[in-house]
Amino acid sequence: MKIYLRVWLKIPDAEAATVKNTLRRRMGYDAVLSDLGKERLWSIEVDDSVQDPQELARRLARELVNENKESYKASVDSVDFEKGYVPVRVGLSIEDGEAVSTLNRLRNRLGFDMVRGVERSVVWKLALSSEKPEKTAEEIAERLLINPHKDFYEIVT
Amino acid sequence: MKIAVVQFPGTNCEHETLVAAQSAGLSGEIFRWNRPAEELSGFDGYVIPGGFSYQDRLRAGAIASKEPVMEALREEADRGKPIIGICNGFQILVESGLLPGLGGVDVALASNVMVSKGEIVRRGFYCAWTTLRHEAPRERCSGSFLLKKGDLVRMPLAHAEGNLVTADEKLMEKLNEEGQVVFRYCSETGEVDDEFPVNINGSRENIAGICNPEGNVLGMMPHPERSSFAWQLPPTDSGKGAGDMNAPGPGRMIFESMKRYIEVRR
Repeated sequence: MKIYLRVWLKIPDAEAATVKNTLRRRMGYDAVLSDLGKERLWSIEVDDSVQDPQELARRLARELVNENKESYKASVDSVDFEKGYVPVRVGLSIEDGEAVSTLNRLRNRLGFDMVRGVERSVVWKLALSSEKPEKTAEEIAERLLINPHKDFYEIVT
Repeated sequence: MKIAVVQFPGTNCEHETLVAAQSAGLSGEIFRWNRPAEELSGFDGYVIPGGFSYQDRLRAGAIASKEPVMEALREEADRGKPIIGICNGFQILVESGLLPGLGGVDVALASNVMVSKGEIVRRGFYCAWTTLRHEAPRERCSGSFLLKKGDLVRMPLAHAEGNLVTADEKLMEKLNEEGQVVFRYCSETGEVDDEFPVNINGSRENIAGICNPEGNVLGMMPHPERSSFAWQLPPTDSGKGAGDMNAPGPGRMIFESMKRYIEVRR
């Protein structure tokens, strides 16, 4: 079973603003990129025997989300994004040290014995008005959002 | 001989880099990223210093690499002028494709991973003195023009993302064959050991610095400007000067090399 936590800032996201500015002002996407958002996505593999995954998701969120500045949405076994933009998920293709230490922290320090694996990624939400938004999103991912020697990306459908 | 020390928002080593360059006999100025990029053509060489350009947003060096000054620097590099990227400057050169300069983004500087005896013993930011072994022949690279192959240079480093990785399995062979590996992390006596603490950040083949095929662009993670004066050396270092505030430290050789490279090009 997999628990997904979508986490986003409820204060202004300076990194998203910088990426949007760079795409629009420096890379020629001003005519097609109307907006850009960013979320962190935790994908947490847990034992199938967990009785109440929504309650477990709430407990995990208390450790992984700072609700003073962040909001989150939890889901089980699938993750959906709102319509109106192209979600581009970017993660590390090399070992993700933060995910490894988060797994260690959850299991060995915080008592989440039912957690089997942790994956961390960033979802860039691109509001695009081009004829082929997914093609444009791929281009943006390859030109800016990833370094292919350490990152991967996928268009979340 | 006038150099530009290119400053982006978040750069934090520009002043000491300029002082180090001046100590080697270069003149120069700090060049803010939002000046007209064409003004860069009036300089003989360039240094992109360390820091956290754009707060390392997205990933270190990625946003700065898209600035118009980087396109202007690419043109100056094509004219053969020397460019040295230090720490974040190296990250910017990698993200812009100027290093290793094979046509695209050919490597990444990933998060540090320190490995000892098969286990990860530490990750992330690290600050320490290190010894570099010069791997290229003399006069191969603008920023190490005066160093002989095998010379050892002491300087500090301080970074979280200096672990050179590549998905191209043939790239390391090419960099080695073409003499583009300029510095490797080594022990104080010059032995290259791929375990921490000698390989201080997990970088492939202990690589600390590389140059482009032409040799005029150098990127390195350690900070030569932080060992350009003998007084900057750690107390235990036999080379630490006593009293003479202008006595040279080992890092000055990088800037003296750049100066000599400019002289020879003329």
